Amino acid sequence: MKRITVNGKVHTVDADPAMPLLWVLRDELGITGTKYGCGIAQCGACTVHVDGVAVRSCQLPLGAVEGEVTTIEGLGTPEAPHPVQAAWIEHQVAQCGYCQSGQIMQAASLLDTHPDPSDDEIDRAMSGNLCRCGTYVRIRAAVRAAAGKLQEASS
Amino acid sequence: MQIQILPGALALFIAVGGLAAGAQPQSAALNTFEEGSVSREEGLASWQVFYEVASHPRCANCHVGDDNLPMWSGASFGAPRRHGMNIDAGVSRIGAETLPCSTCHIAVKTFDPAINATPHMPPKTALAWQLAPVEMEWFGKSSAEICAQVQEPARTGGRDVRAVAEHLAEDVAHGGFIQWAWAPGGGREPAPHSLQEAMDALMKWQAAGTPCP
Ligand code: FES
Ligand code: FES
Repeated sequence: MKRITVNGKVHTVDADPAMPLLWVLRDELGITGTKYGCGIAQCGACTVHVDGVAVRSCQLPLGAVEGEVTTIEGLGTPEAPHPVQAAWIEHQVAQCGYCQSGQIMQAASLLDTHPDPSDDEIDRAMSGNLCRCGTYVRIRAAVRAAAGKLQEASS
Repeated sequence: MQIQILPGALALFIAVGGLAAGAQPQSAALNTFEEGSVSREEGLASWQVFYEVASHPRCANCHVGDDNLPMWSGASFGAPRRHGMNIDAGVSRIGAETLPCSTCHIAVKTFDPAINATPHMPPKTALAWQLAPVEMEWFGKSSAEICAQVQEPARTGGRDVRAVAEHLAEDVAHGGFIQWAWAPGGGREPAPHSLQEAMDALMKWQAAGTPCP
């Protein structure tokens, strides 16, 4: 039995400590906004936050989870979207959408530690998140817009 | 398995993890050799052993220079190239500026080679993944260059040769990168020799007066 906090809620999970967090989220807890793309940290679709830092949940064994997990469901709500989500809607970033929860979680984590990234820095932070629909140009624009929103909010 | 060995001066023991060669964490003991008991020729041969370890991709790929760009090279990679995904570890050497190494190279509770069995998965240890300090640059460096660096405590984190050897053994206690290098999993080629041989090589090299090629 392992207790983990996901989006502010404590869950008790009865699963193999070697089970990756991604499986725990989707199959044990039914929190399916986080997607499975590759299972080997090659695509970024499964990105969540642990204590605010982006982590590939397909790589994190349940037994090694320390800290609060946030998934796309916990980042914002339809009524009060996180600035990154709001920028994503404005820029209509998503195509099929499959990669996008991972993209958004990665971008939110970048802006948390680096509120005004250059295009180069955005590319460095986001290059581990693949999009088979090729929405990269809109992703970069939306990250820039979200940075602006966050700065406005904090000034 | 406990093996009694009788090196030049002192008899100590090594405790090897036991299972299939290279597959399990290793532990090693510090064998000392009396100063002057090792010839210059033997010292150079010992240095060569250590150089073969240091320059191996399992070690050198993350012992890179001040561009802070980890490398992919070695038997399974073809020509050496930058780590995929545009990875830049930054001056923090842990990726803090943009994408932390530990986003993918998760730190697990205890090092277990089984966790790295799947090919193409980012290797994991019990330490947060990071590049070695920049003054310990090994990638693409010659034996003479690395030798000069290991001789100089200002470029080993203040360690003399004995402390460098001890540092290698200590890493095992932390479930860190050094033991991973000999049990990398995922079809990766392990570092040559063994942790014990690398430590013995350093200590013999020191006893010979740290000769460099
Ligand atoms: S599913 Fe985790 S990175 Fe692809
Ligand atoms: S929007 Fe389709 S994979 Fe990114």
